[in-house]
Amino acid sequence: MNCDAVTKALPLYYYGELAAEVEEGVEDHLQSCAPCQAEMERQRALARALDSHVIAPDSALLAECRHDLARAIYREEAPAVRHRASDPWGLFREAFRSLWHPGIRFVQPAGALAMLALGFFAARVVPAFRLNGEPISEGSIVSSIRSVQPDNTGRVQISLDETRRRVVSGRLDDQNIRRLLLAAAREQDNPGVRVESVGLLKDQATSAETRGVLLEAVLHDPNPGVRLKALEGLKSFSADAEVRRTLAQVLLKDQNAGVRIQVIDLLIARQDPDTIGVLQTLIGKEDNGYVRMRCQNALRAMNATVGTF
Amino acid sequence: MLPDAVGAVSARAAAKLDETAVIQAVQRGDPDAFERLVRAYDQSVLRLAMNLLRSPEDARDVYQEAFLRVYRNIHTFRFDCSFHTWLYRIVTNICLDHLRKRKVRREEAAIVDTADGPVDRMDTFEQEGAHADPERRLWNSQLSSRIRAALGDLTPRERMVFELRHYQGLRLRAIGDMLGTSEEAAKNCLFRATQKMRAVLGDLI
Repeated sequence: MNCDAVTKALPLYYYGELAAEVEEGVEDHLQSCAPCQAEMERQRALARALDSHVIAPDSALLAECRHDLARAIYREEAPAVRHRASDPWGLFREAFRSLWHPGIRFVQPAGALAMLALGFFAARVVPAFRLNGEPISEGSIVSSIRSVQPDNTGRVQISLDETRRRVVSGRLDDQNIRRLLLAAAREQDNPGVRVESVGLLKDQATSAETRGVLLEAVLHDPNPGVRLKALEGLKSFSADAEVRRTLAQVLLKDQNAGVRIQVIDLLIARQDPDTIGVLQTLIGKEDNGYVRMRCQNALRAMNATVGTF
Repeated sequence: MLPDAVGAVSARAAAKLDETAVIQAVQRGDPDAFERLVRAYDQSVLRLAMNLLRSPEDARDVYQEAFLRVYRNIHTFRFDCSFHTWLYRIVTNICLDHLRKRKVRREEAAIVDTADGPVDRMDTFEQEGAHADPERRLWNSQLSSRIRAALGDLTPRERMVFELRHYQGLRLRAIGDMLGTSEEAAKNCLFRATQKMRAVLGDLI
């Protein structure tokens, strides 16, 4: 092989994609040709440069993608699947809905209709009652035994708290449904329930009570998906003093870069000295390059000092 | 055959059997199996989409669209090819659509202007590119910018073949299968892609 043929073959040689006989020819030539060896070294240098700029998606993005996928599948299917229990795919989809968020107990809201099954948070809204010798109702859950009292006839009296699973449905403007959603938004054990509830409440933020729940979620919810949903609900209230105070706190303490970016967007919708101070403080401690850049851009847009602190 | 090699072949065969069983379970409607299948492949799908499209938002869209298509169509999978090939056919089609639309829009999704010059917001995802030394960072930034320009010069198909061969380590024959083309055509794409990149990056490497 001559130099011209070898030079043309080098990229495929580097990737091991040449036929065996051509590869042997290239190797023989390289052993005795310094210019072609230098050309091969340039091919390796190109590969090293490209390797050093590979992008590795972080685990937070992967988690968000998985979450979005579960929600997309959940949303895709109509509630009617429940009535096709004999269809194996219907069963599969039904089961898959709760796969990523075990414990989700409600059906996809269609339009403004929300259907909720009381489960995990039922204890909060259903009063406990005493069992008086009746058998425990089917479908009930005994959440705790209060007392065990034997008598001298060989019987025993047990006092227990019982919760009963129910399905209720109604429109989002129904007071009872809203009350349940507000309770669900604080459901500690189930982030899936919180995401869906806050997602429904975010369009109802004109009520001070709902806004309070959204602010609480933004500030304290451990799940970033819930916090982002709550932020969406607060978009129309970014001029409200209490909302802005809470957002400033969130910006300086939230560990999730996506949340911080959303908060910056909400805060800079209105220019005030407090926002400038918060952004300047954030730049001094921000690790994420993109968030820092968004801060800098916002400060410049407000004619404020960027600086490093 | 050496004992290690026999072990490796056995392990591959066992993994293949296991995957076949998982896919059959998914086809029977087993949700746990679907989760296992997604988790087995989703990191590499996301990495491919991120590197090709250089936009987390677009990568998220590709991820979701690809696995939704798997979810909707897994019952049509007949084991005529490996699941990996079938999945990557879906992913590469979606990515190619994105790249073609972007060519039309002339969009620079990842670049943002700052006082320090244009910044690639994907730099925050680049693990190996980060460096504390300012000179090194500047050099890295210049190299990043040139690599971006070099990749931007490739046609969507050249970009795809290069990504799959260089970053994903797939053989050109498999890449041809995925893209519905011949191994020879994939070879030509890889060759052209490499030549174009050497032309743009020549003085930096």
